[in-house]
Amino acid sequence: MTTPLDKLLAWKGFLVFSSMLALAGCAGDGAGLDANGRPLPPAPPPNNDFQEIQDTIFTARCVGCHSGANAPQGLRLDPGNSYALLVNVASAEVPGLLRVSPGNPNASYLVQKIEGTAAVGVRMPADGPPYLSLDRIDLVRRWISAGAPIASAPSDTLVVASTIPAAAETAAAGLGKLTVVFNTNVDSSLVNANTFALRDAADQPVALAAVRVPTARQNVVELITVLPLSAGSYQLSVHGDGPAPLASEAGHVLDGDADGKPGGDTFIPFDVNAGAAR
Amino acid sequence: MMRLKKFIRLTSAVALFAFAGAAQAEPYLAAQMGLKCVQCHVNPTGGGMRTVFGNAFAQTQMAAKRIGSEEDLWTGQVMKFLSVGGNARANYSFTDVPNQSSTNDFAVEEARAYLDFGVIPNRLSVYIDQRFAPGNSTNLEANIRYWISENSVYVKAGRMYQPFGYRLEDDNAFVRQLSGINMQAPDEGVEIGFEKGSWSTQVALSNGTSGAPEIDDGKQIVARTEYVGSAWRLGVSAVSNDTDAGDRFGAGLFGGFRLGTVTLLGEIDYIDDDSIGAEGRKLMASLVEADWKMRQGHNLKLTYEWLEPDDDVDEDEQTRTSFVYEWSPIQFIQLRGGVRLYDGIPQNDLQNRTQAFLQLHGFF
Repeated sequence: MTTPLDKLLAWKGFLVFSSMLALAGCAGDGAGLDANGRPLPPAPPPNNDFQEIQDTIFTARCVGCHSGANAPQGLRLDPGNSYALLVNVASAEVPGLLRVSPGNPNASYLVQKIEGTAAVGVRMPADGPPYLSLDRIDLVRRWISAGAPIASAPSDTLVVASTIPAAAETAAAGLGKLTVVFNTNVDSSLVNANTFALRDAADQPVALAAVRVPTARQNVVELITVLPLSAGSYQLSVHGDGPAPLASEAGHVLDGDADGKPGGDTFIPFDVNAGAAR
Repeated sequence: MMRLKKFIRLTSAVALFAFAGAAQAEPYLAAQMGLKCVQCHVNPTGGGMRTVFGNAFAQTQMAAKRIGSEEDLWTGQVMKFLSVGGNARANYSFTDVPNQSSTNDFAVEEARAYLDFGVIPNRLSVYIDQRFAPGNSTNLEANIRYWISENSVYVKAGRMYQPFGYRLEDDNAFVRQLSGINMQAPDEGVEIGFEKGSWSTQVALSNGTSGAPEIDDGKQIVARTEYVGSAWRLGVSAVSNDTDAGDRFGAGLFGGFRLGTVTLLGEIDYIDDDSIGAEGRKLMASLVEADWKMRQGHNLKLTYEWLEPDDDVDEDEQTRTSFVYEWSPIQFIQLRGGVRLYDGIPQNDLQNRTQAFLQLHGFF
């Protein structure tokens, strides 16, 4: 027969059991492990080739023309934009070729342009000769052969590296696509209308047809508007706050307010002109 | 014959009135009743064939209702010098693995028979535990047990389960997988046991090959000692296995106590195994179990287990949470139903499976 004392002791028993559970461990989140729970092999050695290409080729020779809203063929080669607009992006002159096809330098339009073998247009840099030295061309080939890695090593932070249009920039009328470039790959499952928003001057949301990560460009997010943007002021925001903030593939939440800590939102104000962009 | 009937009645009365509670062959029952394993099993370390007391206990206290006449009380003794017993478990189980189609099936989990030849009553026995299903017939235990001092000191030699921690019915429990010492992996050797007062102690020397042929000179030593109080118990275990592939050392702490109708069990084990991989591994596992005797014949079992497969690797831990309801409507029949929730690293689907099962368990 169960007595009141038994019932009291039973409840105490469950309290003790709960306390014992609290002392027990939890399941691991599997970070850094393979499917068998063993540590992943160490990352390949850092590849800084792209930074060297940026510093010694693009910034040194190309950004005089290839920058801003009116960059030739829409190709901006300033730091923060160049990678997103080169790797796995179709050439505007020869759409059948990628500007940079990772692992395949011969099929990369960038190589053809700097070697002067492209079927269309002039050899780059357009102000040559002199053109790029052989060792600089070899650097580009080597980088593409290695898979066109973006940076030296995975970053432990996530920040917005650049946007198209850039902050405070005036874009041409008819703009229908916004591009946000991050310093490292983003977690595509967190890329949605909650983490990316576009508002007009009246602070009303602008309808978006898609918020997406382009194929093979995990550090880029594109926002496609339902209608081309009309003339006016807009603000693009990327959210590092909220219940499901944007984070990198490695799980680092966006440092949106650039305070060195995860969290905060990034705001990119820009204008759209009725006429040509300036 | 009259003396046997008198003994049966006396045993039943003891089971009924001295130990009011449910009974079945699991450690929580021993903790619930404040009994040693040897009270209900011929094997002093628990599991397998039941004693006359264990059989009487199962018929009078374990079931919600006993059917049949008093004269039909089963003792396991079919002849003066021979006792028999058995276990059979038939399962229907459902398994859901993420990203895979779920499966469900009927299966015989086990069908086993026990024979105990008590050639010198209370002194010398030859014991056999044979599994007939699933698969081919397999011998799990075959040993000679001799009580040097009646009911206090024994020596056992042959094939036997090794004494380490709790002898759980669930061989898939993390603590049993970690130690590698369970009822699927008997070993061959010799065991000395001491059953004095509230203490139960065993020391075993065996090949350390889990029943496979010995391939080196190294041996395994397993020791287990437990203090058994009326409402609580505490024990320690240790194992050391010297093999050419690498040494293996383990230690464990286990205990339990009763709080009213709830019985709590806990075990934590640590293994340092140099035979795994190039650098060896340090592993840990723990078990917390709560058994709530809702009323006679009804038990709700909640279990939470944790496994650390490699102490040098972070975020690889696994857990298993089980909710099992056990109903014994009549003697020697048990219906069990439950859910087991596995939680592990997200990149391994099997470590995140969910299992549900219904089991019909018959035993004698």
